[in-house]
Amino acid sequence: MNLRRALRVTRKDLRLGPRSPVFLWVILLPLLMTFVFTVVFGSLLEPPPRLAVVDEGSSAITGALLDSAGLRVVVLDDEAELRRAVTAHEFDAGLVLAPGIDDALAAGEQPPLEFYVSGSSLASTRVILGVTTLGLLREVAGQSPPVDVVVTQLGDESYVPLEDRLMPLIVAYAVVIAGMFLPALSIVDEREKRTMDAVLVTPTRLSEFLFGKALLGVLLAMAMGLITLAINNAFAGQVLAMVLFLLVGSVMMAEVGLMLGSWARDSNTLFSAVKGGGILILAPVIFILFPALPQWIPRLIPTHYFLTPIYEIATRGATLGDHLGDLGVAAAICVALLPAVAAVGRAAERRSAMTV
Amino acid sequence: METSPSIVARDVTFSYGDKRAVDGVSFAVERGEILGFLGPNGAGKSTTIKMLTGQLTPGSGEIEVLGMPMPARRTEIQARIGVCFEEKNLYPTMSAAENLRFFASLFGVRHFDPLPLLERVDLAQRAKDRVADFSKGMRQRLMMARTLVNTPDVLFLDEPTDGLDPVSARAIRALVRAEAARGAAVLLTTHDMMEADELSDRVAFINDGRLLAAAPPEQLKLAYGQRSVRIRRRAADGSVADEVVALDAAETPERVKAAMGAGDVLTVHTEEATLEDVFVAFAGRGLAS
Repeated sequence: MNLRRALRVTRKDLRLGPRSPVFLWVILLPLLMTFVFTVVFGSLLEPPPRLAVVDEGSSAITGALLDSAGLRVVVLDDEAELRRAVTAHEFDAGLVLAPGIDDALAAGEQPPLEFYVSGSSLASTRVILGVTTLGLLREVAGQSPPVDVVVTQLGDESYVPLEDRLMPLIVAYAVVIAGMFLPALSIVDEREKRTMDAVLVTPTRLSEFLFGKALLGVLLAMAMGLITLAINNAFAGQVLAMVLFLLVGSVMMAEVGLMLGSWARDSNTLFSAVKGGGILILAPVIFILFPALPQWIPRLIPTHYFLTPIYEIATRGATLGDHLGDLGVAAAICVALLPAVAAVGRAAERRSAMTV
Repeated sequence: METSPSIVARDVTFSYGDKRAVDGVSFAVERGEILGFLGPNGAGKSTTIKMLTGQLTPGSGEIEVLGMPMPARRTEIQARIGVCFEEKNLYPTMSAAENLRFFASLFGVRHFDPLPLLERVDLAQRAKDRVADFSKGMRQRLMMARTLVNTPDVLFLDEPTDGLDPVSARAIRALVRAEAARGAAVLLTTHDMMEADELSDRVAFINDGRLLAAAPPEQLKLAYGQRSVRIRRRAADGSVADEVVALDAAETPERVKAAMGAGDVLTVHTEEATLEDVFVAFAGRGLAS
């Protein structure tokens, strides 16, 4: 096989891609889904609590606030600017630390503390900022908490918010649509326009043509999968594991795409097959969304072996080591599909040539 | 330089299921020769071309292109042939230049400049325009240009002027002649008898998958057609009538003399047999049937 010729087929498709509405739809859909899901179920449009601080001395409280995780803290120069910014809801709250406040607290005094709250801020945000500030003041004062807080967890520890459970659906869409549907549609389109015949009377072999299409699917599926994981903050520090599972998933879907594209007689048949069979390919996501369903069923579906690990790593702190078996099964499925891809491709070439 | 024929088919057969589409076809095309491949729809022309270009594998028989067996050395052969399909199978969302560049890259042509080729088919001004906006004639001319991106030694042209306006058809015929003059062997299928007659060094008739004859057009017309003289006269009552007299009959001189003296002769034309007449003589039916 001549890899250079295969790459030329891929490069041509990538260059033509932006001229195709379907191609653009495939690229934009996962991004759109992420946006919709995070707006509906998540907090994409809700920024973390924002606190403005004016430090008139050099209080240790300022440093502690700046180090606080989950808060966006900005130090301003003067109180007038702080009041303006909070009034304009540029910040949820503002804190003015008078000179010598640390010493006063350490001495057991109760110095006045000016805490401005934006009228437009959420009540929950005010509570977070207030409690955090009080805790830091108590630390600086060297006081221990007046109560011993006993934390009791209620509910299922394995609970994962719906927004996070929907993440595999978006990844699945990104990988399945880009990896499977684009190569399939590209093959069907070339057969319908008979450009495939023109390509196959050059020195380009069918294997090179199909490899070029598969590469298109793998590249786009990988890119869209990685982008989807990134905008969902779903890497969980396991970049290598995510890349490996996305890779086997992309290859698997590209192979299915080659078979579908070679098998489908026209684009109508392809769209019908994707609509009908898509639910089977995406089925593991249903079992992630509804964990009460029997979890042995998705193990019968090949896409489970990359979708479920991606979900487990993103949301439950799983590692590559925990899912090496799944990776092996997914890779084995990819290898096992190769002869089927070759057979279906050859049959498609014969069928195309016999169409007079 | 290769001295053997550029295309050789020996007793080639192909069947679509139970239907024998090509039945024991044998012929050869020399370097620089144009062979017109004539026959009605479904006669086996396209199937034969598909076997010669490696798209189909013959059921039996042997094919050699440029001295190499097909399909055993398909990739090497395909690197040196050009195929112009009847269907305008170009990439519509690519420009004319992009189409040519892509196919040139598949042939491994280095530093390919599409403009000289586009100039040859009078499309240089439209090099950057998308093929989707081209007329049928422009697409066909671009198809012809695409056929030539690798400077092929053998050209397979399937109905290259079908449905074209006279200007585009003339341009393509000129291109075919130029390629043959360069030394390329040309296998041309066409429904247009005038075109086949004008372009072909030899014509081959195929019907029901069988090759009926293969010879220069003149030779076929002389051997199987009937020459005649058409005499147009004005009669005494003012009416105009034609009389056709066969040239090769024993009574021809007497009939011509009688016709010429029978009234006011307006025109006299000798008429040759057409390839259509020859095909009817072989196949018992016309090419359009």
